[in-house]
Amino acid sequence: MNKSLPIHEIWVYLSGSPLLALILTLTAYQIGYVLYMRSQRNPIVNPVAIAVVIVAVCLQLLDMPYTKYFEGAQFVHFLLGTATVSLAVPIYRGLSGLKGRVVPLLLALVAGGLTSIFSAVGIAHWLGADQAIVGAMVSKSVTAPIAMGVAERLGYSPTLTAVFAVVTGILGAILARFVLDGLGMKAWWQRGFAIGVAAHGIGTSRAFSVHPEAGTYSSLAMGLHGILGAVAIPMLAGYIPTF
Amino acid sequence: MIPGLVHILLWQGVGEMVSHFILPHIPGPVIGLVLLLGFLALRGPVPDSMALVSDAFSQHLGLLFVPAATGVILFLPQLQQHAWAVVFALFSSVILTIAVTAAALKLTSPEGNSE
Repeated sequence: MNKSLPIHEIWVYLSGSPLLALILTLTAYQIGYVLYMRSQRNPIVNPVAIAVVIVAVCLQLLDMPYTKYFEGAQFVHFLLGTATVSLAVPIYRGLSGLKGRVVPLLLALVAGGLTSIFSAVGIAHWLGADQAIVGAMVSKSVTAPIAMGVAERLGYSPTLTAVFAVVTGILGAILARFVLDGLGMKAWWQRGFAIGVAAHGIGTSRAFSVHPEAGTYSSLAMGLHGILGAVAIPMLAGYIPTF
Repeated sequence: MIPGLVHILLWQGVGEMVSHFILPHIPGPVIGLVLLLGFLALRGPVPDSMALVSDAFSQHLGLLFVPAATGVILFLPQLQQHAWAVVFALFSSVILTIAVTAAALKLTSPEGNSE
Protein backbone atom coordinates (compact mmCIF):
# COMPACT_ATOMS: atom_id res chain seq x y z
CA MET A 1 0.00 0.00 0.00
CA ASN A 2 2.74 2.41 0.95
CA LYS A 3 4.71 1.60 -2.19
CA SER A 4 1.91 2.69 -4.49
CA LEU A 5 1.55 6.03 -2.75
CA PRO A 6 4.11 8.06 -4.76
CA ILE A 7 2.57 6.96 -8.04
CA HIS A 8 -0.83 7.76 -6.68
CA GLU A 9 0.36 11.24 -5.72
CA ILE A 10 1.84 11.88 -9.14
CA TRP A 11 -1.46 10.74 -10.58
CA VAL A 12 -3.50 13.11 -8.46
CA TYR A 13 -1.15 15.93 -9.43
CA LEU A 14 -1.34 15.17 -13.15
CA SER A 15 -5.07 14.65 -13.36
CA GLY A 16 -5.64 18.02 -11.71
CA SER A 17 -3.84 19.96 -14.45
CA PRO A 18 -4.74 20.48 -18.13
CA LEU A 19 -1.55 18.67 -19.07
CA LEU A 20 -3.05 15.18 -18.91
CA ALA A 21 -5.96 16.04 -21.19
CA LEU A 22 -3.63 17.79 -23.62
CA ILE A 23 -1.17 14.88 -23.71
CA LEU A 24 -4.05 12.47 -24.22
CA THR A 25 -5.60 14.52 -27.05
CA LEU A 26 -2.36 15.16 -28.92
CA THR A 27 -0.98 11.63 -28.51
CA ALA A 28 -4.25 10.07 -29.67
CA TYR A 29 -4.32 12.36 -32.71
CA GLN A 30 -0.66 11.66 -33.43
CA ILE A 31 -1.35 7.90 -33.44
CA GLY A 32 -4.33 8.44 -35.74
CA TYR A 33 -2.31 10.67 -38.06
CA VAL A 34 0.60 8.19 -38.33
CA LEU A 35 -1.85 5.39 -39.19
CA TYR A 36 -3.55 7.64 -41.75
CA MET A 37 -0.22 8.42 -43.45
CA ARG A 38 0.80 4.73 -43.40
CA SER A 39 -2.46 3.82 -45.12
CA GLN A 40 -1.60 6.26 -47.96
CA ARG A 41 -4.32 8.64 -46.81
CA ASN A 42 -7.09 6.09 -47.02
CA PRO A 43 -10.24 7.95 -45.88
CA ILE A 44 -11.43 4.95 -43.85
CA VAL A 45 -8.37 5.36 -41.59
CA ASN A 46 -9.54 8.77 -40.37
CA PRO A 47 -7.23 10.35 -37.76
CA VAL A 48 -10.07 12.14 -35.92
CA ALA A 49 -12.19 8.99 -35.61
CA ILE A 50 -9.18 7.02 -34.34
CA ALA A 51 -8.26 9.77 -31.86
CA VAL A 52 -11.83 9.97 -30.53
CA VAL A 53 -11.93 6.21 -29.94
CA ILE A 54 -8.52 6.25 -28.18
CA VAL A 55 -9.46 9.20 -25.96
CA ALA A 56 -12.85 7.67 -25.14
CA VAL A 57 -11.29 4.34 -24.15
CA CYS A 58 -8.62 6.09 -22.03
CA LEU A 59 -11.27 8.15 -20.21
CA GLN A 60 -13.13 4.94 -19.47
CA LEU A 61 -9.99 3.21 -18.19
CA LEU A 62 -8.87 6.21 -16.11
CA ASP A 63 -12.40 6.70 -14.81
CA MET A 64 -12.16 10.36 -15.79
CA PRO A 65 -15.45 12.20 -16.44
CA TYR A 66 -15.77 13.87 -19.84
CA THR A 67 -16.30 17.34 -18.34
CA LYS A 68 -13.01 17.02 -16.47
CA TYR A 69 -11.22 15.99 -19.66
CA PHE A 70 -12.75 18.90 -21.57
CA GLU A 71 -11.57 21.38 -18.93
CA GLY A 72 -8.00 20.57 -19.97
CA ALA A 73 -8.62 19.92 -23.65
CA GLN A 74 -10.43 23.23 -24.14
CA PHE A 75 -7.10 24.82 -24.99
CA VAL A 76 -7.08 22.77 -28.19
CA HIS A 77 -10.80 23.39 -28.66
CA PHE A 78 -10.31 27.16 -28.44
CA LEU A 79 -8.13 27.16 -31.56
CA LEU A 80 -11.17 26.15 -33.67
CA GLY A 81 -12.11 29.82 -33.96
CA THR A 82 -8.64 30.83 -35.05
CA ALA A 83 -8.56 27.99 -37.58
CA THR A 84 -11.91 29.19 -38.94
CA VAL A 85 -10.56 32.70 -39.54
CA SER A 86 -7.50 31.25 -41.29
CA LEU A 87 -9.79 29.49 -43.81
CA ALA A 88 -9.79 32.89 -45.55
CA VAL A 89 -6.39 31.95 -47.03
CA PRO A 90 -7.46 28.85 -49.03
CA ILE A 91 -10.65 30.65 -50.12
CA TYR A 92 -8.60 33.61 -51.35
CA ARG A 93 -6.25 31.27 -53.23
CA GLY A 94 -9.19 29.40 -54.79
CA LEU A 95 -10.95 32.61 -55.82
CA SER A 96 -7.94 33.92 -57.71
CA GLY A 97 -8.13 31.30 -60.51
CA LEU A 98 -11.85 31.18 -61.15
CA LYS A 99 -12.17 32.54 -64.70
CA GLY A 100 -15.89 32.53 -65.66
CA ARG A 101 -16.94 29.90 -63.21
CA VAL A 102 -18.41 32.04 -60.43
CA VAL A 103 -22.09 31.68 -61.35
CA PRO A 104 -22.12 27.88 -61.82
CA LEU A 105 -20.11 27.44 -58.63
CA LEU A 106 -22.47 29.57 -56.55
CA LEU A 107 -25.57 27.89 -57.99
CA ALA A 108 -24.10 24.46 -57.32
CA LEU A 109 -23.12 25.50 -53.80
CA VAL A 110 -26.66 26.65 -52.95
CA ALA A 111 -28.21 23.54 -54.53
CA GLY A 112 -25.78 21.24 -52.72
CA GLY A 113 -26.12 23.06 -49.40
CA LEU A 114 -29.93 22.86 -49.45
CA THR A 115 -29.80 19.19 -50.45
CA SER A 116 -27.46 18.37 -47.57
CA ILE A 117 -29.76 19.96 -45.02
CA PHE A 118 -33.14 18.77 -46.23
CA SER A 119 -32.12 15.23 -47.16
CA ALA A 120 -30.43 14.58 -43.80
CA VAL A 121 -33.10 16.25 -41.68
CA GLY A 122 -35.91 14.70 -43.70
CA ILE A 123 -34.59 11.15 -43.62
CA ALA A 124 -33.56 11.25 -39.95
CA HIS A 125 -36.96 12.61 -38.98
CA TRP A 126 -38.81 10.14 -41.18
CA LEU A 127 -36.94 7.24 -39.55
CA GLY A 128 -37.96 8.49 -36.13
CA ALA A 129 -34.76 10.03 -34.77
CA ASP A 130 -35.31 12.35 -31.80
CA GLN A 131 -34.97 16.10 -32.00
CA ALA A 132 -31.40 16.35 -30.69
CA ILE A 133 -30.22 14.10 -33.49
CA VAL A 134 -32.32 15.75 -36.21
CA GLY A 135 -31.09 19.20 -35.10
CA ALA A 136 -27.47 18.11 -35.24
CA MET A 137 -28.02 16.95 -38.84
CA VAL A 138 -28.70 20.50 -40.03
CA SER A 139 -25.15 21.78 -40.39
CA LYS A 140 -23.29 18.49 -40.78
CA SER A 141 -22.02 19.23 -44.30
CA VAL A 142 -20.48 22.51 -43.16
CA THR A 143 -16.87 22.32 -41.99
CA ALA A 144 -16.89 21.19 -38.34
CA PRO A 145 -15.53 24.36 -36.66
CA ILE A 146 -18.23 26.49 -38.28
CA ALA A 147 -20.92 23.81 -38.01
CA MET A 148 -20.40 23.65 -34.25
CA GLY A 149 -20.68 27.43 -33.90
CA VAL A 150 -23.91 27.43 -35.91
CA ALA A 151 -25.38 24.51 -33.95
CA GLU A 152 -24.54 26.17 -30.64
CA ARG A 153 -26.37 29.34 -31.62
CA LEU A 154 -29.43 27.40 -32.76
CA GLY A 155 -29.52 25.42 -29.51
CA TYR A 156 -28.43 22.06 -30.95
CA SER A 157 -25.66 19.89 -29.64
CA PRO A 158 -22.26 21.02 -31.01
CA THR A 159 -20.89 17.60 -30.04
CA LEU A 160 -23.36 15.59 -32.12
CA THR A 161 -22.89 18.08 -34.95
CA ALA A 162 -19.12 17.55 -34.87
CA VAL A 163 -19.58 13.78 -34.85
CA PHE A 164 -22.02 13.87 -37.78
CA ALA A 165 -19.71 16.25 -39.64
CA VAL A 166 -16.76 13.89 -39.23
CA VAL A 167 -18.80 10.84 -40.29
CA THR A 168 -20.17 12.79 -43.28
CA GLY A 169 -16.63 13.76 -44.27
CA ILE A 170 -15.43 10.17 -44.09
CA LEU A 171 -18.42 8.83 -46.06
CA GLY A 172 -18.09 11.58 -48.66
CA ALA A 173 -14.38 10.98 -49.12
CA ILE A 174 -15.00 7.27 -49.65
CA LEU A 175 -18.14 7.45 -51.81
CA ALA A 176 -17.50 10.55 -53.93
CA ARG A 177 -15.52 8.66 -56.56
CA PHE A 178 -18.34 6.24 -57.27
CA VAL A 179 -21.05 8.91 -57.35
CA LEU A 180 -19.02 11.19 -59.65
CA ASP A 181 -18.01 8.34 -61.96
CA GLY A 182 -21.64 7.23 -62.07
CA LEU A 183 -22.68 10.71 -63.21
CA GLY A 184 -19.89 10.80 -65.80
CA MET A 185 -18.18 13.84 -64.24
CA LYS A 186 -14.80 14.36 -65.90
CA ALA A 187 -13.60 17.89 -65.10
CA TRP A 188 -11.37 17.90 -62.00
CA TRP A 189 -12.62 21.29 -60.84
CA GLN A 190 -16.22 20.06 -60.87
CA ARG A 191 -15.35 16.82 -59.09
CA GLY A 192 -13.35 18.70 -56.46
CA PHE A 193 -16.06 21.29 -55.86
CA ALA A 194 -18.76 18.63 -55.40
CA ILE A 195 -16.61 16.80 -52.83
CA GLY A 196 -15.87 20.03 -50.95
CA VAL A 197 -19.55 21.04 -50.70
CA ALA A 198 -20.60 17.63 -49.35
CA ALA A 199 -17.60 16.46 -47.34
CA HIS A 200 -15.70 19.64 -46.24
CA GLY A 201 -12.17 19.15 -44.82
CA ILE A 202 -11.96 15.36 -44.96
CA GLY A 203 -13.20 15.37 -48.55
CA THR A 204 -10.73 18.15 -49.37
CA SER A 205 -7.83 16.15 -48.00
CA ARG A 206 -8.97 13.28 -50.23
CA ALA A 207 -9.36 15.57 -53.25
CA PHE A 208 -5.82 16.94 -52.84
CA SER A 209 -4.41 13.42 -52.79
CA VAL A 210 -6.15 12.67 -56.11
CA HIS A 211 -5.52 15.87 -58.11
CA PRO A 212 -4.27 19.38 -57.14
CA GLU A 213 -7.00 21.19 -59.10
CA ALA A 214 -9.67 19.06 -57.42
CA GLY A 215 -8.10 19.91 -54.05
CA THR A 216 -8.07 23.66 -54.66
CA TYR A 217 -11.72 23.67 -55.75
CA SER A 218 -12.68 21.40 -52.88
CA SER A 219 -11.15 23.74 -50.30
CA LEU A 220 -12.84 26.68 -52.01
CA ALA A 221 -16.17 24.81 -51.77
CA MET A 222 -15.56 24.00 -48.11
CA GLY A 223 -14.81 27.64 -47.29
CA LEU A 224 -17.75 29.07 -49.25
CA HIS A 225 -20.11 26.47 -47.79
CA GLY A 226 -18.86 27.48 -44.34
CA ILE A 227 -19.68 31.15 -44.94
CA LEU A 228 -23.02 30.39 -46.60
CA GLY A 229 -23.97 27.95 -43.84
CA ALA A 230 -23.16 30.41 -41.06
CA VAL A 231 -25.21 33.15 -42.71
CA ALA A 232 -28.11 31.17 -44.20
CA ILE A 233 -28.78 28.30 -41.79
CA PRO A 234 -29.97 30.54 -38.92
CA MET A 235 -32.30 32.31 -41.38
CA LEU A 236 -33.53 29.00 -42.83
CA ALA A 237 -34.03 27.40 -39.43
CA GLY A 238 -37.66 28.50 -39.29
CA TYR A 239 -38.43 26.75 -42.57
CA ILE A 240 -36.72 23.45 -41.83
CA PRO A 241 -39.42 20.96 -40.81
CA THR A 242 -39.46 19.40 -37.34
CA PHE A 243 -38.17 22.52 -35.66
CA MET B 1 4.89 32.57 -38.25
CA ILE B 2 4.17 34.89 -35.30
CA PRO B 3 3.16 37.95 -37.39
CA GLY B 4 0.71 35.76 -39.30
CA LEU B 5 -0.78 34.36 -36.10
CA VAL B 6 -1.12 37.83 -34.58
CA HIS B 7 -2.82 39.04 -37.76
CA ILE B 8 -5.30 36.14 -37.71
CA LEU B 9 -6.01 36.54 -33.97
CA LEU B 10 -6.70 40.25 -34.45
CA TRP B 11 -9.27 39.51 -37.18
CA GLN B 12 -10.80 36.89 -34.90
CA GLY B 13 -11.07 39.55 -32.19
CA VAL B 14 -12.70 42.04 -34.54
CA GLY B 15 -15.07 39.28 -35.73
CA GLU B 16 -16.06 38.41 -32.16
CA MET B 17 -16.83 42.05 -31.43
CA VAL B 18 -18.90 42.52 -34.59
CA SER B 19 -20.76 39.30 -33.74
CA HIS B 20 -21.40 40.45 -30.20
CA PHE B 21 -22.60 43.95 -30.98
CA ILE B 22 -23.97 43.92 -34.54
CA LEU B 23 -24.62 40.43 -35.98
CA PRO B 24 -25.42 38.12 -33.06
CA HIS B 25 -26.66 35.23 -35.21
CA ILE B 26 -23.34 34.77 -37.05
CA PRO B 27 -20.41 33.22 -35.15
CA GLY B 28 -17.53 35.67 -34.57
CA PRO B 29 -14.84 33.57 -36.30
CA VAL B 30 -16.92 33.44 -39.51
CA ILE B 31 -17.17 37.24 -39.50
CA GLY B 32 -13.40 37.35 -38.91
CA LEU B 33 -12.96 35.02 -41.89
CA VAL B 34 -15.01 37.25 -44.19
CA LEU B 35 -13.20 40.40 -42.99
CA LEU B 36 -9.79 38.78 -43.52
CA LEU B 37 -10.90 37.67 -46.98
CA GLY B 38 -11.90 41.27 -47.76
CA PHE B 39 -8.55 42.49 -46.45
CA LEU B 40 -6.68 39.99 -48.65
CA ALA B 41 -8.75 40.97 -51.68
CA LEU B 42 -7.78 44.62 -51.16
CA ARG B 43 -4.20 44.15 -50.08
CA GLY B 44 -2.97 41.51 -52.49
CA PRO B 45 -1.11 38.31 -51.87
CA VAL B 46 -1.15 36.28 -48.67
CA PRO B 47 1.86 37.14 -46.44
CA ASP B 48 4.23 34.16 -46.01
CA SER B 49 3.85 34.05 -42.26
CA MET B 50 0.06 33.92 -42.58
CA ALA B 51 0.24 31.18 -45.22
CA LEU B 52 2.39 29.16 -42.80
CA VAL B 53 -0.19 29.41 -39.99
CA SER B 54 -3.11 28.76 -42.30
CA ASP B 55 -1.50 25.71 -43.91
CA ALA B 56 -0.68 24.25 -40.48
CA PHE B 57 -4.29 24.71 -39.39
CA SER B 58 -5.67 23.26 -42.64
CA GLN B 59 -3.47 20.21 -42.43
CA HIS B 60 -4.41 19.40 -38.83
CA LEU B 61 -7.88 20.91 -38.58
CA GLY B 62 -9.10 17.51 -37.37
CA LEU B 63 -7.03 17.69 -34.18
CA LEU B 64 -9.00 20.73 -33.06
CA PHE B 65 -12.35 18.96 -32.94
CA VAL B 66 -11.15 15.87 -31.09
CA PRO B 67 -12.09 17.34 -27.65
CA ALA B 68 -15.64 18.19 -28.73
CA ALA B 69 -16.18 15.04 -30.80
CA THR B 70 -15.12 12.87 -27.86
CA GLY B 71 -18.29 14.14 -26.18
CA VAL B 72 -20.03 11.52 -28.31
CA ILE B 73 -19.56 9.18 -25.33
CA LEU B 74 -22.31 11.14 -23.56
CA PHE B 75 -24.71 10.44 -26.45
CA LEU B 76 -23.98 6.75 -27.01
CA PRO B 77 -27.29 5.38 -25.66
CA GLN B 78 -29.26 7.89 -27.74
CA LEU B 79 -27.23 7.13 -30.86
CA GLN B 80 -27.60 3.39 -30.38
CA GLN B 81 -31.33 3.76 -30.08
CA HIS B 82 -31.51 5.66 -33.38
CA ALA B 83 -28.48 4.06 -35.05
CA TRP B 84 -30.36 3.03 -38.17
CA ALA B 85 -31.85 6.49 -38.74
CA VAL B 86 -28.49 8.20 -38.20
CA VAL B 87 -26.52 5.90 -40.50
CA PHE B 88 -29.13 5.94 -43.25
CA ALA B 89 -29.59 9.74 -43.09
CA LEU B 90 -25.86 10.50 -43.21
CA PHE B 91 -25.21 7.96 -45.93
CA SER B 92 -28.00 9.06 -48.28
CA SER B 93 -27.51 12.73 -47.58
CA VAL B 94 -23.84 12.76 -48.55
CA ILE B 95 -24.51 10.83 -51.77
CA LEU B 96 -27.39 13.15 -52.71
CA THR B 97 -25.35 16.27 -51.88
CA ILE B 98 -22.43 15.20 -54.08
CA ALA B 99 -24.78 14.19 -56.90
CA VAL B 100 -26.87 17.40 -56.81
CA THR B 101 -23.80 19.67 -56.61
CA ALA B 102 -22.11 17.83 -59.48
CA ALA B 103 -25.25 17.82 -61.62
CA ALA B 104 -25.79 21.54 -61.00
CA LEU B 105 -22.22 22.29 -62.10
CA LYS B 106 -22.57 20.15 -65.20
CA LEU B 107 -25.83 21.83 -66.22
CA THR B 108 -24.79 25.44 -65.57
CA SER B 109 -21.15 25.50 -66.74
CA PRO B 110 -20.72 27.17 -70.12
CA GLU B 111 -17.81 24.85 -70.85
CA GLY B 112 -19.92 21.81 -69.86
CA ASN B 113 -18.13 18.86 -68.44
CA SER B 114 -14.83 19.06 -70.30
CA GLU B 115 -11.50 19.53 -68.55
